[in-house]
Amino acid sequence: MALIAGIITLSFRAEKAPANNYPTLPKDSAGSAKAFMSVYKVLMSPRCMNCHPSGNAPLQGDDSHIHTMNVTRGVDGKGIYSERCSNCHQAENAAGLHMPPGNPKWGLPPANMRMVFQGRTPRQLALQLLDPKQNGGRTKAQLIDHMANDDLVGWAWHPGDGRTLPPMSRPAFAAQVRLWIAKGAYAPSAKTK
Amino acid sequence: METNEISRRNFLRVSSVAGTALCLGVYFPANAKKGRLNSTANPEQPGVELNAWMRIDTDGKVTLTDHRAEMGQGSYQSVPQIIAEELEVNLADVNIIFAQGSQNKYGSQITGGSSTISSSYKNLLKLSATAREMLITAAAAKWAVPTSECYAESGSVIHKPSGKKFHYGELVADASKLEPPKEVTLKKRSEYKLIGKPLKRRDTPMKTDGTAIFGLDKRVPGMLFASVERNPRLRGKIKSFDDSEAKKVPGVTKVFKINMKVFNTMREGVAVVATSTWAAMQGRRALKIEWDDTGFEHINSADIYKKHEELLKTKEGLSFKKQGDPNAALASADKKVDAIYQTPYQAHAAMEPLNCVAYYQGDKVEVWGPIQAPDWVQGDLAKQLNLKPEQVTVNMTFLGGGFGRKAFLDYPYEAVIISKELKAPVQVVWTREDDMTQGPFRAGVSYRCEGAIKNGEVTAMKFRMAGQNIDHWSGPDRSKPNESTAESFLKPYFKSIDNISFADVPYEMPLPNMWWRSVYASTNGFGYESFMDEMAHAAGKDPLEFRRSYLKDEACQALITRLEDVSGWKSREKNSGYGTAITECFGSTVGQVVKVSRTSSGGIKIDKVWAVMDCGWYVNPDIIRAQVEGSIIMALGAATAHEITFKDGLPEQHNFYDYKMPRINDVPPIEVHIMENTSDATGVGEPGLPPFSPALTNAIFDLTGKRIRKLPFNMNAV
Amino acid sequence: MITITVNGQQHDVDAEPNMPLLWVIRDILGLTGTKYGCGAAQCGACTVHLNGEAVRSCVTKINRAAGQNIVTIEGLSAHNNHPLQLAWNEMNVPQCGYCQSGQLMSAAVLLRENPNPTDQDIDDAMSGNICRCGTYQRIRSAIHKAAEMQTEGAKI
Repeated sequence: MALIAGIITLSFRAEKAPANNYPTLPKDSAGSAKAFMSVYKVLMSPRCMNCHPSGNAPLQGDDSHIHTMNVTRGVDGKGIYSERCSNCHQAENAAGLHMPPGNPKWGLPPANMRMVFQGRTPRQLALQLLDPKQNGGRTKAQLIDHMANDDLVGWAWHPGDGRTLPPMSRPAFAAQVRLWIAKGAYAPSAKTK
Repeated sequence: METNEISRRNFLRVSSVAGTALCLGVYFPANAKKGRLNSTANPEQPGVELNAWMRIDTDGKVTLTDHRAEMGQGSYQSVPQIIAEELEVNLADVNIIFAQGSQNKYGSQITGGSSTISSSYKNLLKLSATAREMLITAAAAKWAVPTSECYAESGSVIHKPSGKKFHYGELVADASKLEPPKEVTLKKRSEYKLIGKPLKRRDTPMKTDGTAIFGLDKRVPGMLFASVERNPRLRGKIKSFDDSEAKKVPGVTKVFKINMKVFNTMREGVAVVATSTWAAMQGRRALKIEWDDTGFEHINSADIYKKHEELLKTKEGLSFKKQGDPNAALASADKKVDAIYQTPYQAHAAMEPLNCVAYYQGDKVEVWGPIQAPDWVQGDLAKQLNLKPEQVTVNMTFLGGGFGRKAFLDYPYEAVIISKELKAPVQVVWTREDDMTQGPFRAGVSYRCEGAIKNGEVTAMKFRMAGQNIDHWSGPDRSKPNESTAESFLKPYFKSIDNISFADVPYEMPLPNMWWRSVYASTNGFGYESFMDEMAHAAGKDPLEFRRSYLKDEACQALITRLEDVSGWKSREKNSGYGTAITECFGSTVGQVVKVSRTSSGGIKIDKVWAVMDCGWYVNPDIIRAQVEGSIIMALGAATAHEITFKDGLPEQHNFYDYKMPRINDVPPIEVHIMENTSDATGVGEPGLPPFSPALTNAIFDLTGKRIRKLPFNMNAV
Repeated sequence: MITITVNGQQHDVDAEPNMPLLWVIRDILGLTGTKYGCGAAQCGACTVHLNGEAVRSCVTKINRAAGQNIVTIEGLSAHNNHPLQLAWNEMNVPQCGYCQSGQLMSAAVLLRENPNPTDQDIDDAMSGNICRCGTYQRIRSAIHKAAEMQTEGAKI
């Protein structure tokens, strides 16, 4: 168990962003929240949300149905027993419709840091993303780096045959993340949907 | 380990030495329905076509030639279990090998219609008892004692007064010179030591260490691999193809067009041959083919069912069976039920996709594969290739599931024509997608069922079906109703209900269809037994009590009582739904009770299934239980998980991601009970399937008041 | 040449690096106990152990296995005597038998990691393997049986 925890910590720390270095702009709660809404739309797209489910099973497909085969998260987010993610999901997408997509880091967030997107309102998700206790211990700079540079996050824009892309490009997405944080990292109001 | 290969070599070596073995078989003269017993020391004796079903060698080992396929149904275990019983040998001393295809020798070899045991057990018993008596006679003669003082046990003949003993092996030379006795006494059921016991299957060890050889595992020296791109729209043709990229794939050795006759039309495709299965598949992906679909089928599923409904609402159809005057009784009824039930098209989807190894060598051809009907394949290949049947050798391997699809003749023939072009042995491997999309499919059938109730009693039942008729693909004859129109319906109803009619409203379309586990009973059962439940409710009766009051024969009464007892029907739990259905096919009656409840998320969960099987005389109760468990799960899939739908003439499902299978987390506990009675043996492999889907939807009605009349349905959205 | 170790034996395989491990095992090495069922990681018939994990060999390219340790059904035990194999025989699990190599290889990982699995654990581990004959109920019983046998065996 200690080993698994160590690996999880390691995989987060692999992002090499300086902990407290990110661009800032004058505080602008409306502008910040507006940028977050663009970020939110990407995070709630099937390519991102399917691996940030509310339950312990990943989701599949553009309709975000529960993954067939009764797949479960497991402690490290990589599945359990003979249903480990990497038993089917390779380091790269398998060619063809309905073939397993792939990435070297394929998996869900771990059980102790579930980072649920599914069902979260914009405000809930924004607050969650900013909370190091819920975001994998990331500073704002690390959060930007994760969104902009992480390889598994980047898979969403190379999802393999037959899968729709998030609603904007990755650079545009990363720009909106930076903007959201630069303008003060405001969470949209509770009424925002 | 190739058990059958090794045994066959031994068999040939030993049998060439006359007088050293006792061979007994049932001789099936061509076109004769009943077998005739024969024996000889030399199976090659001129003039005698002896089917060496059973051979006892000088070492006392018994070899059986299993003329039927082993596709999971257990003939590999149950046939030796029968033989060892009457022959009085230890089961461990009985070896079994698969027969090659030959109707002259074995009679019908089609492993279908749940017939492996029911059609052969009497012959097998008699054959074994005959051998036993001949061995006893031989021993008695050696000792110069009366045969009445001798008995057989554990592969030996024992002289009771003296305790002297001959091993069977020591007797075969003498016994083989004897005339077989005309009459033999079979053991009483109470004397059975093996039959009726849940003995372990002898094919299990081979299936747990990877040594069982299925069709796909067959290897012959110099064998190449082929994958075929066939027109996705059946009967379509090839306009042109470009194989330049395919030929660049490493390992691809040859690409060529094939055409073959299937379903009375030509099937066209492009075969890619390579040094490995993967290379052949890759080469195939690189093909560029332009298909000619003009004039071929462009049908949609919705149109099929719309047409069924229209036919059922406007046509009386071809009468299959009729007693009394159902229309008159319906006209004077107090209460009527009139409902349409619909069932989907299905793929067989055996876990082992279709495949076949073939080696064409001009004046002879040999095939190896997962084949349900080796004699049919032999006959078909001989005809298509202008050869004599004896020039065609058909070898059965283990089958990774069959369910009817592997009784068809297209895939061995395709392998042969590819081998003919290559002049080399080749294994043709169908991909899962080929297996799922190329058909033939189980036809989706719709039923209209009307019932009349007067003074609380059923006065009429009128059934009409509309759906493709399997018999029609070989040459349409629309003047006759589907011969399975009333399949699954229990005959005793004809005695207790005055007015009953069955009719088939002809519906044809050109997509190929064929038998699928339990054939039309698989769809009829849903229509007829859902309707029976609606009738019970309309009559204000308990559904099981309702059946009891109309199924008055002794066997049905006993089965219903057993079902009632094992399922706790009388003390049904509240907040649960219970449904029942009883059907008959291949001679066996099966009743089931399904218990369902609501899940916390609002879906339906199956808590338990109870099944009672009446298959008369039986061999191995555990194999029967396994067959019923499997039938129920296959029915569960067809009712709730998968169907084949068509769009523009093409199947819309391709693989298990869109033709979803029940998995271990989807299946309920199943409890199977077997009736004990003195009836003859009847079918086992299929009769457990038809009652499940109506029992399930009847249970859902009991729980929710919602009647499901169309399969498949979503258990999470009832 | 790609070097892989299968059932303890090292092989130098002349295969295109994209060829799935399944076809290397079956068509090049001639070990046919591992089955082709779907080619899409849907059915589990092709399950083998890659460094102890129950990978679906139909979607695992040979280059992932380079230099790694593979165990197929033929290598699950020396004499068909892994507790699961014994339990499969005891409970008459297989019907047609085609999927059972994959079922056993999946179950072996479960039993290694959880010597006393619950029904839920069995569901969590075994739902990636399809059996068309419907032997699931027996698979479940046999895994429980094997767990008992393994525990008893460990006591001796």
